[in-house]
Amino acid sequence: MSEEQTTHQLIVDTAVKIFTDHCDKPLLDRAEKGEFPDALWQQITENGFDQLGSVSSGTSVQDMFTFVQQCGRFAVPMPIADTLLVNRWCESESAAATATSGGLYAIGLVDGGEVIEVPWGRRADKVLAVQQGSHEVRVIENPEVIKLDTNLAGEPRDSVVCPADAEVLHVAVDPYAQLAVARINLMAGSLQALLDLGLQFANEREQFGRAIAKFQAIQHSLAVVAGEVAVSRRAADAAVDAMDTERFLFEVAASKARVGEAVTIVAERVHQVHGAMGFTHEHRLHHFSRRAWAWRDEYGNEFYWQTLLGAHLAKLGPDRLWPFIATRD
Amino acid sequence: MLQFDRVSLDHETETLRAEVREFLDQNRAHFPVPNSDFSTGHDAEFSRKLGARGWIGMSWPQAYGGGERTFFERYVVTEELLAAGAPVSAHWIADRQSGPLLLRFGSEQQRKTYLPKITRGEAFFSIGMSEPDTGSDLASVRTTAVREGDEYRINGTKIWTTDAHRNHFIICLVRTEAPSENRHAGLSQIIVDLREDNVQVRPIANMAGGEDFNEVVFTDVMVPADRVVGEPGNGWAQVTSELSYERSGPERFLSSFRVFVELVRACGEDPAPHEAAAIGRIASHIMTLRRMSISVAGMLQNSKDVGVEAALVKELGNNFEKMLPEIARLAAPASANSGVFRQAFEATLLLSPSFTLRGGTREILRGVIARGLGLR
Repeated sequence: MSEEQTTHQLIVDTAVKIFTDHCDKPLLDRAEKGEFPDALWQQITENGFDQLGSVSSGTSVQDMFTFVQQCGRFAVPMPIADTLLVNRWCESESAAATATSGGLYAIGLVDGGEVIEVPWGRRADKVLAVQQGSHEVRVIENPEVIKLDTNLAGEPRDSVVCPADAEVLHVAVDPYAQLAVARINLMAGSLQALLDLGLQFANEREQFGRAIAKFQAIQHSLAVVAGEVAVSRRAADAAVDAMDTERFLFEVAASKARVGEAVTIVAERVHQVHGAMGFTHEHRLHHFSRRAWAWRDEYGNEFYWQTLLGAHLAKLGPDRLWPFIATRD
Repeated sequence: MLQFDRVSLDHETETLRAEVREFLDQNRAHFPVPNSDFSTGHDAEFSRKLGARGWIGMSWPQAYGGGERTFFERYVVTEELLAAGAPVSAHWIADRQSGPLLLRFGSEQQRKTYLPKITRGEAFFSIGMSEPDTGSDLASVRTTAVREGDEYRINGTKIWTTDAHRNHFIICLVRTEAPSENRHAGLSQIIVDLREDNVQVRPIANMAGGEDFNEVVFTDVMVPADRVVGEPGNGWAQVTSELSYERSGPERFLSSFRVFVELVRACGEDPAPHEAAAIGRIASHIMTLRRMSISVAGMLQNSKDVGVEAALVKELGNNFEKMLPEIARLAAPASANSGVFRQAFEATLLLSPSFTLRGGTREILRGVIARGLGLR
C-alpha cells in the first residue's frame, strides 16, 4: 500500500471509530433541536481532524475531503467542512488578522447587509461570506446573529450581520465552487450511508417467509443505488483532484450536477426499500436522506451547474467538445 | 465494497492521442456519416490501416504481432475512434474479445496462427454465443460438437451474430458433452471458419434498417480438433471471463456521442438556458462515466479483479447512452429538425434498444452487481 493510501485508510478508520461511538441517533436528534454537540467537536479537535488539509498539518486536500465524506456518511451535525476550508483560506493568505487555530468556523452567502444560510451561525467563532463568481471573501469576527433558521434537514442555517468594514480576504481558487466541492463530498458520504442502510434493512426484513433481499425487484433496485453511489464517490474525488487546475470550475460543475441527480435516485429507492419504517422519525434513515436532499440545493443545484458547464461547451463549439472531455487528468 | 481507484491516463498517451487525431483527420473519407456505435460501420480497409499503425492488439506481446502497449494507450485509441464516429466494427470483436481470449486460453499454435493476422486487420472474428432458444441463459446452448477422430462434427444454430457475413472466423460456445446435472459442465469453445461450405449465414434485418447481424447454421461442419480453445469442457469458465473483458470500455457509454456533437452544433454559441442545461447534463454524465471507465482500465492494468465494477460501468453507461438522445431531443431547437442533428438522432434512437442488450442485458448486469453486494 502506498503512503497516500495508508493515510487515507487511517483517516477513514479513525473517523469511523469516533463517529460510531459518538455520533449516534440521539445526538442527531438533539442537534436538530438546536443543541450543538460539544463533546463530539472536542473529539474531533483532540484528534486533529479540524486541522486536516492545512499545510502545517502535513495532510493534503484529498485527506481533508476524505474526512468530509466520512462526516457526510455519519451526518456529523456541525460545519466541519466550512471550518476546514476557512483554515486553508486564511492560512494561504497569511494575513495576521485572519490567522486561525482551533475555532469553529462557518461560511455563508452575502445578501446585502447580511450573510445568509450560515451553518450554525449562532455558534460559529467566525463567519466568512462568499459571493457567486467572486474571489473576495468577507471575514466577520464575533458575528451578530439576526435570524435563526434551518434547512430541510434541520441543520442550522442562520443569518448574521455583514458589517460594511469587514475584512476582505482574496481566495485564489473560486470559493463558491470550493463550497460546492464540500457539499459534493458530504453528499457522496450520505449516499454511501443510504446504500448501507438499504442493504442492511433488505437483509434483515422478512416478508413472504424470506428476507426481502432475496426478491429480484429489491436486488435490482439496490444495484441501481450501488451504481449511483459509485458514481458519486468517483465524481467527488475528481472534483477534489481538480482543485488546483484550470478546469476546476467545470469539473465541479460536472460533479455537483451528476451527484445531485444521484441523490434523487438513491434517496427515492432506499426509502422505497425501507417501506413505512423508513418514513418514521424514529428510524435514522431520514437523517441521511434529508441532508442529501438539502445539500443538492446548496451552492448551486443541478440546473445551475449544468447551465454553467453547457454554456462553456457551447462557446467551445462542436469540434472542441470531445477534446474538452478527453482530458488526461 | 465497490472500488473505483483515482486513476489518470499517463503523459505518454498524449502523443499517441495526437497521432490518432491526425490519422482520423486524414481518413474522414472512410466515415462521411460519423456514428459512434461500435457495431455500425464495417470497413476492412480502414481496419487494415489501423493495423498498419499498430492500433489493433496494441497491448499484446510482440511475438504475436502486438505492440506491448499499456491498457491506457489502448483506451486512448478506442475512445478517439468512437468519439470521431469511425467505422470500427470489422476488427472490434477480434481486438477486444477474441484475441485476449486466445492469449489467455489458446494454444501456442492458435496464437501464432490468428493473432498476427488480427493485428494486421486481416482476420475478423464474430461471437458465437446466443442461439434461437438461448439468450441470457447462456448455459442452455444446444449446438453440439462431437469428436470424430481428429475432428469435431458441429451441428446447430447461432443467432444475432454481428458481421458473420463479412467476418472470417467465429468462436462458438458448443456442447462437447451431453447435458448433465451441472449445466455449466461439458461446454467448450471452438474456432470455426465462417467461409466453410456447411456454414450457412443468413442476414437478419434489424429495425434500424441495417443488416449487421445474422443467423448462422452449422450442418455437419467438420473442424480440426486443434481448433478447440482451451481445455474441452472449460467453455463456461472461459466465456464468463471473456464477457467481463472490457465490459467497461468506452464503447459502453459513447454509442450516442455523435448526437451530442450535433446538439451542440444545433444550439450554437449562445444557447438558451434550457439548451445549455441539457448540454451540461449530458457532459456531466460522460465526464463521470469516463473517469469510472478509466479507473477500471487502471485496475485491469494492475491485475485487479474488476468483474463487478466493470458490470456496473456497463449498466450505467448503457442506460446513459439511451438517455442521451432523449435529453437532446427535448432540448434541440426547432431548426435542428431538418438538419444533421435529426439524422444523427434518428440513427441512434433506432439502434438504442440494442444498447442494454448486447454484451449482457441490463437484467443480467444488475444480477451481477447484486451478487457483488452480497444480496444473492
